[in-house]
Amino acid sequence: MLRRTFTGLLLASALITPALAEDVTIKYMTFSAAPNYLKELDATIAAFEAEHPGIKVTYETAAWDAYFTKLQTVVAAKQAPDAFELNFENFVTYAEKGALADLTPLIAADTGFSTSVYNPTALAAFAEDGKQYGLVESFSNVVLFYNKDLFDAAGVAYPTADWTWTEELAAAQKLTNAGAGVWGDFAPIQFWEFYKTIAQNGGSILSPDKKTVTIDSPQNIETLTWMIDKVSTYKVTPSDVEMAGQSSEDLFKAGKIAMLRTGIWLLGDFTENAKFNWDIALEPGKTSKAHHFFANGVAVSANSAHPAEAYQWIKFLTSSKAAVDLRIAAGWELPAVSDAAAVQGYLDQPVPESREVVFQALDTAVVPPVIGNWNQLTDAVGKELEAAKLGQKTPEQALKDAKAAIEGLL
Amino acid sequence: MSPAADRSKYLALAVLLLPSLAGMVVFLMAPVLSSLVLSFSEWDLIGEISWVGIDNYVTALADPAVLGALRNTLTFILGYLPSVVIIALGLALLLNRRIRGRVVFRAIYFVPVVTSWVAVSLIWKWLLNPQYGLVNFALGAVGIKGPGWLFDPAWAMTGVILTSVWKDIGFVTVIYLAGLQDIPEPLYEAAALDGATPWQRFWSITFPMLAPTTFFVTTISLISSFQVFDQVWIMTQGGPAGATSVMVELIYKNAFSYYKMGYASAISWVLFALIFAVTIAQNLLQKKLDRSDG
Amino acid sequence: MAEPANPTVTTDLTTPTGSFPRKREPLLAERAADTANGGSRFRGNDSVLERKRRGVTLPDLATYAILIAGAVVMLLPFAWMVSTSLKTAGATFVTPPNWLPDPATSDNYAKVFDSAPVGQFLFNSIFVSVTSTVLMVLFCAMSGYAFARIEFRGRTVLFYAYLATLMIPQQVTLTPLFIIMNWLGWTNSYQALILPSSFGAFGTFLLRQFFLRLPKEIEEAAFIDGAGYIRIFFTIAIHLARPALATLAVFAFMASWNSFLWPLIITTDQSMMTLPLGLSALQGRWTTDWNVLMAGAVIATLPIIAVYVFAQRFIIKGLSHTGLK
Repeated sequence: MLRRTFTGLLLASALITPALAEDVTIKYMTFSAAPNYLKELDATIAAFEAEHPGIKVTYETAAWDAYFTKLQTVVAAKQAPDAFELNFENFVTYAEKGALADLTPLIAADTGFSTSVYNPTALAAFAEDGKQYGLVESFSNVVLFYNKDLFDAAGVAYPTADWTWTEELAAAQKLTNAGAGVWGDFAPIQFWEFYKTIAQNGGSILSPDKKTVTIDSPQNIETLTWMIDKVSTYKVTPSDVEMAGQSSEDLFKAGKIAMLRTGIWLLGDFTENAKFNWDIALEPGKTSKAHHFFANGVAVSANSAHPAEAYQWIKFLTSSKAAVDLRIAAGWELPAVSDAAAVQGYLDQPVPESREVVFQALDTAVVPPVIGNWNQLTDAVGKELEAAKLGQKTPEQALKDAKAAIEGLL
Repeated sequence: MSPAADRSKYLALAVLLLPSLAGMVVFLMAPVLSSLVLSFSEWDLIGEISWVGIDNYVTALADPAVLGALRNTLTFILGYLPSVVIIALGLALLLNRRIRGRVVFRAIYFVPVVTSWVAVSLIWKWLLNPQYGLVNFALGAVGIKGPGWLFDPAWAMTGVILTSVWKDIGFVTVIYLAGLQDIPEPLYEAAALDGATPWQRFWSITFPMLAPTTFFVTTISLISSFQVFDQVWIMTQGGPAGATSVMVELIYKNAFSYYKMGYASAISWVLFALIFAVTIAQNLLQKKLDRSDG
Repeated sequence: MAEPANPTVTTDLTTPTGSFPRKREPLLAERAADTANGGSRFRGNDSVLERKRRGVTLPDLATYAILIAGAVVMLLPFAWMVSTSLKTAGATFVTPPNWLPDPATSDNYAKVFDSAPVGQFLFNSIFVSVTSTVLMVLFCAMSGYAFARIEFRGRTVLFYAYLATLMIPQQVTLTPLFIIMNWLGWTNSYQALILPSSFGAFGTFLLRQFFLRLPKEIEEAAFIDGAGYIRIFFTIAIHLARPALATLAVFAFMASWNSFLWPLIITTDQSMMTLPLGLSALQGRWTTDWNVLMAGAVIATLPIIAVYVFAQRFIIKGLSHTGLK
């Protein structure tokens, strides 16, 4: 079956790909493949090269922490790779600064290909001013992971879609067992968690036109207070000192956290390493539901000598059946394709049981309020949140200071 | 000087100095000068460069982030420099004694120096772990409740200093040992004949004879501690709540995270001016001490 | 003997002259005589008085106590690193800390070797570090000697220019350096990894200080025999400088071995990458496997400790054959 599809693909591509006089080598740079998915990347490249005889793909990887230092240096020297991966937030910066090739004409000329293969919301994230500067490679979001065994032991009913913070807190208090080092609930107190959590209480950082700073609104103060109270007042969430340098994910795997808000990128890790029954659910909100939405895209460099070939590669990487299947089988994030059949393999995997939650969460996605000075905004707000978390400032004061800091960046 | 001697001198300079100079110019001085030029620009590394005159410097000198980072850097130096120099000098004196096993000791004290900052920072992050760390475990054993170290704004810098002193002691010790080797022994013999106590011998012979070494060590340590970065980046990323945000961390963030290479370069040159001034001041002070000593 | 020794004890950056305080001059004359007789100047570093003592004395005991306590503090973290690298994930976060891995496992090492071509990284690291160390020692010895001994116009300014390169953080010179390498067409090459760490003001400064302290009398004798700076440097000075060269070699090797940012940027191909890059790749974006990371750290650290142990013997050997006898 697979072989037949593959042969079909080969035939189809032979018809649409113009013959190339000599081999073209496309350089590709990625962070999401290293260190765990290099084998899948190799396999994707092999499939691509089999299908596009004139094009070779070489790649380099860098760990997330170092990726942008490296990318910016090669871009500065006009040595950018032909194609490279960008997360949504940095994509905006690169697109605005003119570092990316406009793919719109290439897509228009590509008869037999339609962008309808992508999830429209996810694809739209990689467009600016009506021009498509990147193709969406994958998306991920954050949901509520919970340890069923701990719920059973405490006699607490599993989270449902209509839970609010109130039910969450009540359950967390029953689940917390200080003696056994078990914590009922965990969500980090940092910028990313904050912009999502305030949305669960109807708040925002910026007004929709991104001209007014709304971070110090009363409901945001209430939200931040709630986030901190879970640690200091209700003691259902461990403090940094109590976590002692372990990640919340490691604590969850060790059976020490009952409910954890974290990303679906951990599904594979937990499936393999969590030695207990667990599942996922939609996150409880206060007045409304809200879930993170993160997307990675692939773009072609504005300076690439082979934009057409680079486009073929990123199209293959993001939408071909071969690439999609490899990703789903490996749990290498979630391909942002619209075809329900393509992701059926994802839903069919037995653990966790409620995989459909991942797609349900998309209905209430909040996109980060990206502005030009995005990284500075995240650092400045993060610092204020940390001051509030440490008790150096009241939530009210911290958000007031954050507002002043953001106003300086707009 | 005769023309022949002149010729021989220039030939010597060409052979001995030129290779080094060529490499320095291409690989170090040119990039350094480029950063000076860039400090008058606005450059996001992606688009084109635009020139902004001294704007970056004006901004930097009034930027609370720069002042905060500067304060934290100075705190680091005040804690780090005296500790490392004094402890290392003491160790060098002990290791210079003719005792059994000193070769082994020297090797042991050097192990942290050769270990990479990545490994050292990770190990110490662990040792300073409030719950599972060895440091608080040891403190607990003698009845002291250890602080939150890297998670506590009041203690995070102390943790970074502790780690840095631990790592660098071996380095400074080895330089002092090399200095001690060069002190002629007859000096001590004569002093002993004069009936000098070990304490007197230290202050009248060892310490003054080590002056060039001390100068070298303090200069190099000062220059490098103004640029403390690796350990901060791996251990705290400048946190918690900015308590360990240092100059180079701010520079790195501006250059590669905020897309402000021009501003990052300007902060670097502000830092340069500071280091340079301190080095010159130190040099003058040392010269004065030398003179008053003679 | 040309004249009594008058070693320059200078801490001054600009004028490499100076002298001992007056009151010590007679001792120096004695020392010169000692030198002329093939004396013990460079060999001994302990007081003769101490050497003449027999048995273990009270100061010796105190010395041992301090040194052993210090050694424990120096080694414990390293021991923990090794022990953690042999533990399973579950046995890692426990109070009180466990010293002996139970159960012990070599899985973490297997994972490191599985994750990347560690052998290739190791080769690259060794090749790059050894080559740049050799070049660094040679270039710094030559330039350090020139700065210490040859008077020429602009010497002070040039020396400050050298020092200035130490005072600008690497973070802002990386990009210009990358652009230079790109002009030269050297990206992703061994020369691009090696050459930037083959030059440095630190080494030049270290060896300049060393040559400034070296008594001039031997060189002066050679001068009278008609030798020039170049011959004196290669036949006499460089041999005298062996302990300082060994010290610099260790530091140069260490710096190159642990270098991270530059190799990160200049290499594009896994076949050119060095160990620190591999170590950083073991840290995931979301979770970190501590045990595997520590195994990587052990692999990255052991070779350099071996180099130091080797170089230390060389330093001591260098000390006893300084060419003064």
